[in-house]
Amino acid sequence: MYPKEIEKYLLKVQKPGRYVGGEPGAVVKDKRAVDVRFAFCFPDTYEIGMSHLGIKILYSLFNEKPYIWCERVFAPWIDMEEQMRAHAIPLYALESGDPLTDFDFIGFTLQYELSYTNVLNMLSLGGIPVLSRDRKDLNHIVVAGGPCACNPEPITDFVDIFFLGDGEEVDLEVIELYRVCKREGKSKEEFLRLAAQISGVYVPSLYDVSYHEDGTIAAVTPLDGAPAKIEKRAIMDMDACYYPDSFVVPNIEIVHDRAVEEIFRGCIRGCRFCQAGFLYRPVREKSVDCINEQCRALCRNTGYDEVSLSSLSSSDYTQVVPMLKKLNSWAKQEKVSLSLPSLRVDGFTDDILDEIKSVRKSGLTFAPEAGSQRLRDAINKNVFEDELMDTCRVAFEGGYTTVKLYFMIGLPTETMDDVAAIAELGRKVVDTYYSVENRPKGKSPRVTVSASSFVPKPFTPFQWEPQDDMDTLREKQKHIRASITTKKITYNYHDSDTSFLEAVFARGDRKLNKAMLLAHERGMHFDGWGDCFSLQRWLDIFEECGIDPAFYANRRRSFDEILPWDHLDYGVTKEFLKRECERAYASKPSPNCRENCMNCGAKKYGGGVCYEKRKSVL
Amino acid sequence: MKNARVFFEKNGACKYISHLDLNRVMLRAVGKSRLDIWHTEGFHQHAYITFALPLSLGFASTCESMDFRLLDDHADMSAIPAQLNACLPDGIRVYRCAEAKDKPADIDSAVYAVRMEPMNADDISDKELYSKLNDFLAQPQIITEKKTKKGKKDIDLKAYILDCDLSDADGVGMTLRLPAGSSLNINPSLIVTAFEAYCGAELHADITRTAILTKEGRPFE
Repeated sequence: MYPKEIEKYLLKVQKPGRYVGGEPGAVVKDKRAVDVRFAFCFPDTYEIGMSHLGIKILYSLFNEKPYIWCERVFAPWIDMEEQMRAHAIPLYALESGDPLTDFDFIGFTLQYELSYTNVLNMLSLGGIPVLSRDRKDLNHIVVAGGPCACNPEPITDFVDIFFLGDGEEVDLEVIELYRVCKREGKSKEEFLRLAAQISGVYVPSLYDVSYHEDGTIAAVTPLDGAPAKIEKRAIMDMDACYYPDSFVVPNIEIVHDRAVEEIFRGCIRGCRFCQAGFLYRPVREKSVDCINEQCRALCRNTGYDEVSLSSLSSSDYTQVVPMLKKLNSWAKQEKVSLSLPSLRVDGFTDDILDEIKSVRKSGLTFAPEAGSQRLRDAINKNVFEDELMDTCRVAFEGGYTTVKLYFMIGLPTETMDDVAAIAELGRKVVDTYYSVENRPKGKSPRVTVSASSFVPKPFTPFQWEPQDDMDTLREKQKHIRASITTKKITYNYHDSDTSFLEAVFARGDRKLNKAMLLAHERGMHFDGWGDCFSLQRWLDIFEECGIDPAFYANRRRSFDEILPWDHLDYGVTKEFLKRECERAYASKPSPNCRENCMNCGAKKYGGGVCYEKRKSVL
Repeated sequence: MKNARVFFEKNGACKYISHLDLNRVMLRAVGKSRLDIWHTEGFHQHAYITFALPLSLGFASTCESMDFRLLDDHADMSAIPAQLNACLPDGIRVYRCAEAKDKPADIDSAVYAVRMEPMNADDISDKELYSKLNDFLAQPQIITEKKTKKGKKDIDLKAYILDCDLSDADGVGMTLRLPAGSSLNINPSLIVTAFEAYCGAELHADITRTAILTKEGRPFE
């Protein structure tokens, strides 16, 4: 429950429902009866954080343990932050209304680099010293997981522990260790030293990083017996893996206001720009029966009438049609609709269309990512133009008139011709619409072309690549606009300024901690939001800290440079990534995991797609 | 088919559920409770629920209602409050279910309990606030600006205050009866805002709707 004193200020802010808790499914325990209090913090607004699947899984998992009480904390929007700061109200957790200082663990999920300033801001709003070294006792342990933990170097001064990979097991192991250390009166240092011995745990203070004169890394040296390589955790049996049968159901509308079922983890495709496609290897599926039971329980327990069947590429689920049929055997009757996000262009079949449009129909979104076949080959997005057109034809015949196409600009090896091909592909989709005999009568098609700027990420074959500078990106955006000749195409593009900052932090090193701290001291927050983001303020900060952001964003690394994240192990080997990068230069696609093994290294986890029987052995 | 009306309280954290969000909360609760109620029959089929008189964001209430149609003519209505409460957030409690008697158009006025305090305690004492409230309400006219769909217009609030009781027992409070319904609806926060301007202090008002009345002056049922 929210603290009584905020009631006066709630009606002065937008959407006060964000700050009060009290939702069905929220877990309230007796704080005297638990050993460990965990504040699960999402460094963005309530509506975004509550839509995130990871928090739902871990919240329920932690709270199943009688000795842990896990609560939720979200970043207050700027209007609420103003009220809180003006009236000295510390950031509190939604279940108890207690400030962050009452918690043993303050855990963050790092979903995108531009939320880092919110992490620091939330700590300071909660009255927690932002610097790890200023938190001396065995409490207020700041931990973080999520995709950005794969290169957490820019925020190592602030976070005590990073969790690499799947959190379901390692988080509990660390909480249990804390409980023991607390009981035995151990110090924070002793606890961290012991935690570093747990697989999947990265304690950045136990590593010393030295640099060459040119700013690149000379060596990363483990201290106090910490492992030289920190391996991510990966759970192989997804049917046995914990999954909640109920969620906290928000009282106010959130971004993804529906039940979510994870159908598999990982992706077989290996698109070379996509970090998730490499971080979550190998692909591990749930069985149809498991999915069916979990969906049914979720709908019954939450009251949601929509289930999203979530994964990185839902049509790659081997049993997709049997799964949909099984779900629809009860879902139709109970007026529950199914949605399959992240459908690939080549995975969109009549069968799937029949099953998902039976209850509800929304627009279609596809991501060809690049306009020309040559560039799609180079980035390994194995999608062909005729497949896209066939898919659109199926969709138009099925009554759809709206298609959204997502692209990236600034991809490695891209030329201006590749950029113009984006507009061309949009035009071909419009033409396809008019070539369909039984298209929706009297309606004109709406094709939306969105182009975002490519950000090279760690653990991808493009981790060595420079990002296009902002002038080049702007020129490419203009070139698309100039190449669009029909009004049936709506063109959107993402701001390249935020992509630039993202590129700096994505592949940043520990020297960036200084800039993060200064940015925090200057009150920066919500960098991912146009309302708050200012590139100029960041450029000023970099200059004051003597940091050249282009060193991180726009520099080509050599294959033999020690990268800031080289001591972290996500299964995929550097040799494999090099091979893939070289294939990209040759515009040569690679087969997916089910076609042929490219020996990425993820086989060492001993499960998933690596041990499936392949249809054809090449 | 039977027209059922449930009456519920809305308070605590649930004060901050807007009317649109309340609709969603109720749809999920109805779905989860598995009550056998009529669904719309169009393409987007959903449970059909309606509300007689929306409540402003931030107000508590002891007298909200929601209508739906029970498919089974012999359904036991007395069990419905417990069935729904099991599926609702704690701040929403259904206390009665009965066949709908009045039509929403029969609603004529609503009663609000308003408790006020200054945002900054130093600005004004309770005693002074209470005395200013008396003066404020004793004015022959209370002209204020009301935003309508057609734009802003000046209205005389005084003419719309159907009943008013003041109290200084527990802070500064007033009980107001104001016109309510779809044709003319006066929000009590208009009076609070006008009073703020009059007394020159920023106020926090805790508002609870305590009754919805028909033209005959009896509770809406």
